[in-house]
Amino acid sequence: MPVWLREHRWRQTLTAVYLSLPLRGARATPANIFCSEQYLKVSIPPFLFEAILYAPIDDTNSTAKIGNGNIFFTLYKKEPAMWDSLTLANAAKEKLQHLRENAVLKAHEKAKEETEAKKITKQEHKKYALEATMKVEEEERKRIEDLKEKERQKVAKELELWKNQQKDGDKYKSIQKKGKLHREIEPLKERKSEKMNKTRISNEGTSKTRLKSTKGSCSIFSQNLKEEQLPAPRAAATIKVNFTPRVFPTALRESRVAEEEEWLHKQAEARRIINSDLSELEDLKEEEKNPDWLKDKGNKMFAMGDYLGAVNAYNLAVRLNNKLPLLYLNRAACHLKLRNLHKAIEDSSKALELLTPPVPDNENARVKAHVRRGTAFCQLELYTEGLQDYEAALKIDPRNKNIEKDAEKIRHLIQGTMQSS
Amino acid sequence: AAVGSERPQVVSHVQQALSYTVFDCKWVPRSARLLCLGSAARGTGIVQLYELHGARLELLREIEKPKPIKCGTFGATSLQQRYLATGDFDGNLNIWNLEAPELPVYSVKGHKEIINSIDGVGGLGIGEGAPEIVTGSRDGTVKVWDPRQNDTPVANMEPVQGESKRDCWTVAFGNAYNQEERVVCAGYDNGDIKLFDLKTMSLRWETNIKNGVCSVEFDRKDINMNKLVATSLEGKFHVFDMRTQHPTKGFASVSEKAQKSTIWQVRHLPQNRDVFMTSGGSGSLHLWKYEYPAQRCKKDSEGSEMGVAGSVSLLQNVTLSTQPISSLDWSPDKKGLCVCGAFDQTVRVLIVTKLNKI
Repeated sequence: MPVWLREHRWRQTLTAVYLSLPLRGARATPANIFCSEQYLKVSIPPFLFEAILYAPIDDTNSTAKIGNGNIFFTLYKKEPAMWDSLTLANAAKEKLQHLRENAVLKAHEKAKEETEAKKITKQEHKKYALEATMKVEEEERKRIEDLKEKERQKVAKELELWKNQQKDGDKYKSIQKKGKLHREIEPLKERKSEKMNKTRISNEGTSKTRLKSTKGSCSIFSQNLKEEQLPAPRAAATIKVNFTPRVFPTALRESRVAEEEEWLHKQAEARRIINSDLSELEDLKEEEKNPDWLKDKGNKMFAMGDYLGAVNAYNLAVRLNNKLPLLYLNRAACHLKLRNLHKAIEDSSKALELLTPPVPDNENARVKAHVRRGTAFCQLELYTEGLQDYEAALKIDPRNKNIEKDAEKIRHLIQGTMQSS
Repeated sequence: AAVGSERPQVVSHVQQALSYTVFDCKWVPRSARLLCLGSAARGTGIVQLYELHGARLELLREIEKPKPIKCGTFGATSLQQRYLATGDFDGNLNIWNLEAPELPVYSVKGHKEIINSIDGVGGLGIGEGAPEIVTGSRDGTVKVWDPRQNDTPVANMEPVQGESKRDCWTVAFGNAYNQEERVVCAGYDNGDIKLFDLKTMSLRWETNIKNGVCSVEFDRKDINMNKLVATSLEGKFHVFDMRTQHPTKGFASVSEKAQKSTIWQVRHLPQNRDVFMTSGGSGSLHLWKYEYPAQRCKKDSEGSEMGVAGSVSLLQNVTLSTQPISSLDWSPDKKGLCVCGAFDQTVRVLIVTKLNKI
């Protein structure tokens, strides 16, 4: 139950009501005050004060002053009249309720209207700002355009000037050329007189005719002069070139760089995988848990001829990391030696699966895988499958003579069996 | 911004729509005229001569030839003659006098397949030595011709017997600083770059930049070789410092990835050899400046000299078209004036401003 505040004091004039409400120690904020046309409420839990006013007031202009443990209301009456009392007496409960609800509704509406008005003003402000920026940008653009235009005109003028200069220059040059020719003939004349033992008079005669000759021959004349200064044409020779080989006939963008990257990435991933299952492997030494170390061990045992031991090593390595293609590849070799042909085929297949995408990096491994699988097939007398693998190997590495020889042998075998059957 | 206004600007001066595919465009030296070479829809070759008149190009002459023309150069001709050397789709090398273009001045069926690229040296009053033309073709050979010698090339760089050939996409002359010295650089479609020394008739250096080489150019043909830019597919280009050759590592280089598309051409500014423009498959042009390192060469661990590559910075870039800009040429007479031809059948004359301030 709220505590009613009843010790309020009020006085009135014709147009306003002044209400003073002491707060018993409670702190008030504007949020605690609710006022509408005929209803006033102050609610500071647990305190509550409400009043149904005698007559409607203008709640937009009325004020409330909070301070000194007191709220001082200045309520402006809608109709200037003296009130008999602050509140409506004998207010029935329903009426109270009704009035309260009305008040709340009215307050809501007012709030809505206010937000609407605010929105509209905001939009107008935005529009104005936009227009202002647009104007500024437009001016900037115009300024740049003007600058460009000026540049263009200046440049066009310069060009015209230069062009005219060229024309004049050409005329000037042709005049100059004639003069030059005259001058060139002089020293030539003297040279000729030194070279040949003709008399000067006869030389002058010949040179005079040269002077009178047409312009065309004059230019050839001057060219002859020049040709004496030019070196003779080069002695013909050929330079042989080699081109950088390309796997694919087109440029880098069609190369397999992407796939090579994928392959490297895959290898890196594979090395990092460590299969769980460590419960059984707890009695192993640290190094025995390293697939690479196990692979090396397997290789060594293979080299020494201990094929079973090698297989064991590879098995353990595979249990630790089943993504390394080389483990399967080497295990296939062991199985071949042990004549476990089906197992060899399985392992080579698994290795080939892991050796995708096919890139130059894993060429060797793929060749070996194909060769081993091919051998296994042949030993099982499945010659056609074997030949398929040998041919695949040849495709990757066409220059390997051994593979070629073996492929030939298999072909003969197939033809032999076909003939006999 | 203040910095932005100091950068060179690429201003599009004239645009000309053409009725054929233009493969190469070249300025006629000592003039305001330019040539467009290409292939008409009916499968013939077109040479058009335009002159710059104010804000437009005026067509002065149109020449039609039986085979489509892929490339051309003025590099091996004298300033008075200004003969045009062209390579066509059939492997023919022809030299034309544009005043009398009915019959070529020189003609040879140099290659079995299309001549992809051509370069000339020894003409235009630049450098010394005999005038020579080099052609690179899809048949994998690079041949050097002397216009005074008919029918046979003076140098032939061909694949070894039995070797599968690779298309040669680009050729360039360099190191022609005296009468004897000359090198030819060739770029192939498998990313090979080979440097042939014509004085010793040997392969001087080769490397592979992984992607097909679209264009190579020395910064100057007529000096001791200084820098070589090679552009390739997939938006990369490499700048090699050619002053110091290491016995095993070759030349030092810096590479830059400009954009996702092929870089079709690189052309150095004739007036400043450290500035070059690259044109791309996305229709854009990038203007670059090379900065030399503090020390151009250093000693490696064994004491042999090794070059040090500098750095490349982008000065400006602009997108002009949606189709690749396949050819580019700076005017040798007016700094900043250049012409470019794109596969949208348009040739554009551009002016690059503020190059004096670089």
